[in-house]
Amino acid sequence: MSVSASPSQPVSLLGGFTPELFAAHLAGVAHLPAWWLDRKRAAYERFASLPLPKRTDEAWRFATLTGLTLDGYVRPAAVPAGRLGHVPVGVAKSGRLVFANNRLVAREQVAAALAERGVVFGTIQEALRTHGDLVKAHLLAQPSPLGSEKFTALHTALLEDGAFIYVPRGVELPAPLAIYHYAQGAQSAVFPHTLVIAEEGSSATVVDCFRSADAQRHFACGQNDLHAGHGARLTYVAAQTWSRETLSFQFNSTIARRDAAVQSLNLHLGGRQSRHESHSQLQAPGAHTEMLGLTVAHGTQEFDQRTLQIHQAPNTSSNLLYKNALLDQSKTIFSGLIVVDPDAQKTDAYQGNRNLMLSDDAEANSLPGLEIQANDVRCTHGATSSRIDPEQEFYLRTRGIRQADADELLTFGFFEEVLSKLASEPLHDAFRDLIKAKFRAAPRPADHQH
Amino acid sequence: MSQLDIKDLHVSIGEKAIVKGLTLTVRSGEVHAIMGPNGTGKSTLAKAVAGHPSYTITSGDVLLDGRSILVMEPDERARAGLFLAFQYPSEIPGVSIANFLRAAVQARMGEGEELDAAAYYKRLYSKMDLLKMDRKFTSRAINDGFSGGEKKRCEILQMAMLEPKFALMDETDSGLDIDALRIVADGVNALRSTNLGVLMITHYQRLLGYIVPDHVHVMWDGRIVKSGDKSLALELEAKGYDWVKTELVPA
Amino acid sequence: MSQSPTTDTLPPTAGDAAANAVQGIDQAAGNFSYKMDYAFDAGTGLTEDTIRYISSVKKEAPWILEFRLNALKQFRAKPMPTHWATKDLENINFDKIRYYLAQGQKPKRTWDEVPDDIKKTFERLGIPEQERKFLAGVEAQFDSEAAYSNVKDLVAKQGVIFLNSSEALREHPDLFRKFFGKVIPTGDNKFSALNSAVFSGGSFIYVPKGVKVSHPLQAYFRINAENFGQFERTLIIADEGAELTYMEGCTAPKFSTSTLHSAVVELVALKGAKIQYITVQNWANNVFNLVTKRGVAHEEAEIKWIDCNIGSRLTMKYPGVVLKGRKARGEVISIALANDGQHQDTGAKMIHAADETTSNIVAKSISVGQGRSTYRGVVHIPKHLKGCKNNTECDALLINTNSRTDTYPAITVRGDANSVQHEASVSKVSEEQIFYMQQRGLTEGQAMSLSVNGFVNDLATQFPMEYSVELKRLIDLEMEGSVG
Repeated sequence: MSVSASPSQPVSLLGGFTPELFAAHLAGVAHLPAWWLDRKRAAYERFASLPLPKRTDEAWRFATLTGLTLDGYVRPAAVPAGRLGHVPVGVAKSGRLVFANNRLVAREQVAAALAERGVVFGTIQEALRTHGDLVKAHLLAQPSPLGSEKFTALHTALLEDGAFIYVPRGVELPAPLAIYHYAQGAQSAVFPHTLVIAEEGSSATVVDCFRSADAQRHFACGQNDLHAGHGARLTYVAAQTWSRETLSFQFNSTIARRDAAVQSLNLHLGGRQSRHESHSQLQAPGAHTEMLGLTVAHGTQEFDQRTLQIHQAPNTSSNLLYKNALLDQSKTIFSGLIVVDPDAQKTDAYQGNRNLMLSDDAEANSLPGLEIQANDVRCTHGATSSRIDPEQEFYLRTRGIRQADADELLTFGFFEEVLSKLASEPLHDAFRDLIKAKFRAAPRPADHQH
Repeated sequence: MSQLDIKDLHVSIGEKAIVKGLTLTVRSGEVHAIMGPNGTGKSTLAKAVAGHPSYTITSGDVLLDGRSILVMEPDERARAGLFLAFQYPSEIPGVSIANFLRAAVQARMGEGEELDAAAYYKRLYSKMDLLKMDRKFTSRAINDGFSGGEKKRCEILQMAMLEPKFALMDETDSGLDIDALRIVADGVNALRSTNLGVLMITHYQRLLGYIVPDHVHVMWDGRIVKSGDKSLALELEAKGYDWVKTELVPA
Repeated sequence: MSQSPTTDTLPPTAGDAAANAVQGIDQAAGNFSYKMDYAFDAGTGLTEDTIRYISSVKKEAPWILEFRLNALKQFRAKPMPTHWATKDLENINFDKIRYYLAQGQKPKRTWDEVPDDIKKTFERLGIPEQERKFLAGVEAQFDSEAAYSNVKDLVAKQGVIFLNSSEALREHPDLFRKFFGKVIPTGDNKFSALNSAVFSGGSFIYVPKGVKVSHPLQAYFRINAENFGQFERTLIIADEGAELTYMEGCTAPKFSTSTLHSAVVELVALKGAKIQYITVQNWANNVFNLVTKRGVAHEEAEIKWIDCNIGSRLTMKYPGVVLKGRKARGEVISIALANDGQHQDTGAKMIHAADETTSNIVAKSISVGQGRSTYRGVVHIPKHLKGCKNNTECDALLINTNSRTDTYPAITVRGDANSVQHEASVSKVSEEQIFYMQQRGLTEGQAMSLSVNGFVNDLATQFPMEYSVELKRLIDLEMEGSVG
């Protein structure tokens, strides 16, 4: 095999992801198509040669780089059946896949009627054999422009298995498809992937849940590729609840074709340091994307979110709203960019970042950017960082509500603006419950009765 | 039978004195109106009594049934029976009226006491019917995107649900067209009882045609300069505030 | 003649322009040069010898030479900031620039003493006339050194010092040294290091305690020579409770090769002082204008930058305020207009370092043709401060289909006792508005000019009247030919 990291290379460039680990991984997927293995080898070379992020990299501005070490992570062992203690998210669904340590451990197929109409809800390993051309065209086929090329290359190199969803022309899925990605065991490295191809006029809702099966230190480096064809409607929601020791990367690539509408909501609760990159391309007139983010940061957690909305065609619209609530000594970074290409007239784009400061030791960074090269557009952004509005708090208190209760109402009100954009009531409730659970684990937002 | 006593109250915002020695007693069952031009300290009085942190009470006292409320937090004052209907109610996106009112009602219950949801909604809907409010209203966020009339009706709805001993109504008529004004006034009139004292703050006589006061006070430069019955409001309307300045204010 | 900036609703005619009191900042009027014999010329390129030459010509104290040589080292060590800034910076050839040109004469106190060609230059630009009309003092710099420097008697009697910085270094070395390089350290960025190595000219102002200078002090910067780099250094100190307004203007002829202007401006507003610094930058559009401007505002002091960029090929300038004392206030009002071949990369920095400090940034940019305007901002509120507020508004107007605008703010807030708010919007001129005005008989071009002037009007009214009239006229000039 061709992979060789030169001995002079400092170990930290590779960390635990050594050529030996990669070779072992390749041996495990040797039965997959050659083009895919070639791509993985090239990706590993790229991973090995690219430097770790530096302080002067604009794409990593404000990020804590000392926490990004790759040392010590391992290819985890398979999780024995029945050892997972899986709890579903509590939403009626069309189908379910459960992955643990990169391998499928449980599944619930879609109804036969849907399968007969051509709906595919399976694993990437299966799809590589049965839908090779589709996978080749869409799996990890987009650039990684937001600073993490090293880590997306690592994802490609070590991606073992993930979810493959294909919704044929005109088919509407009645309920969400749910996918669970678990990490288990000390130092486990997982590479979750969800690939969704929604063909012309179809509609689907996909739920990704990222979870740790224990409180160990994990490394998660995942990606989701969303492709919405002509007039397709796609909703993608993700709930990240990795263990508090996990280093997490999650990359999103969305493509919206003519008149397609893609809504994505990422809920970030877990991890020690979590980087999320979301890249949305509006490729044809009428395309619309809505990118939503909700983060509750506590302890010393750091959440780093980088987004890119590229308007490549006229008459497209995008709407981004990322809200962060910060407790304790937590830190958030939001860096967003709206790009309007020269011919993308009549673009309507919005980007909003709201940080709710619930602690005197928290730090919120905002980098809301615009690059506009067409004049007939409506592009705005807004960023605010502030504590609970004292006038709103006073108003609630004049109704007899105690300060701590008023602050809790207002904090949840802050999230509700995002959650209420989810059409599915059960999903809305499930996500609110996840946030509530995190708040119960953390101290009250404001316990300063005076 | 309750009593709200405002005694020689002085209120400042920052260094600036706004209310300069105001004394007034409201008893259950009474409706008082305070009239006066803009900037005379009417809204400051209401906010200060409700406990807004930006207003400093420099001297004087406010007693509810003989007990000073000045040491109390705004929410304690509210639970003690004081209600402020805001001139400009806060807009609070993301917090639904149903959740909000439930939290407010719950806050008035004892530790461990559970709200009877069915009874609560029954009561809520009957009050909404009274105020000609659509049921869908409860799922909307508090005042978020409301019209002027909707905001004021929402204030009266809260007052109806929370059953205060005393209501301070700050310019409740401002921003209302004639239909909305009538609905709001009907709502307030329906709540009038021997258990409720009302202090209405208004710039215009108009509202007093719908909610007829027992007592009218004219406020000027932080003090009450004349008190009388409802005819005083008509006299003031006829003569204008210049009359107050030239006739009522001691030189 | 008198003109009112706000009631004037029609674009001025050519006749109005000629009669304008401050045509000095009109680039068209500045597009001429005289052949000069320079007594002192540091030659082309930058070495230690260049610096020793400049320092010896200026008869500087040893510490200044040392300061310069150290700055040269830092300049060489620092990379071009192209990892975030435009690659156009790479087109500056530091080896082809002349770093010091002067005639070796002391600045004159009356215009009669100023050498003829130089006097003619400033007369053509209208400077002496402005001085008579509304200024408390003027300094006029020609290439590397001041040709004229005068402050009105009344102001001088109040103890106000207004000199060019070369003179001030000789006459007030202690005062100068106490504040010099403290607001903007040499190594702040590559161009502040370059300026620190080769600086010459610029203003030094000291306003004593409690003195309020009622009329503006003005500096005027003129580049006359080709391939020349102008590196003025300005230091303004407003002692406790003092107030002043400082204005600067600039012109250069349009040479076929590019020119570099790289200034460093440091402001110090001591307790309760107020400094207002107004710039109308209208360099020829082959000038690289890379300027570092920053002020420190002590307790209850106020620094306001009004920064207007219309000329140059590339401007990179982000006036900043370090809010060092409790209740200090900082403000940046920025107007930028980028036409074909221009990139206005401007913005603001607000560094909060004390409780209850407030800052405000309002930036408006207009991109015409293939012009590009960029807003960059930094707002920083560190840990454990209370009651700090920032408000930022950025609005960009795009005139043509291929105009470009970018916005890159960076906001850091720590703690729950402060609040920041940033809003930006991008729009084009309203077709309805243009149609409405055309229906009233205006040409499309006139309507466009009016509309653009309306876009910046709320900011332009904060300028002294003479400057706001001029700004309006410059916008009209730039908007000519932008339609169709």
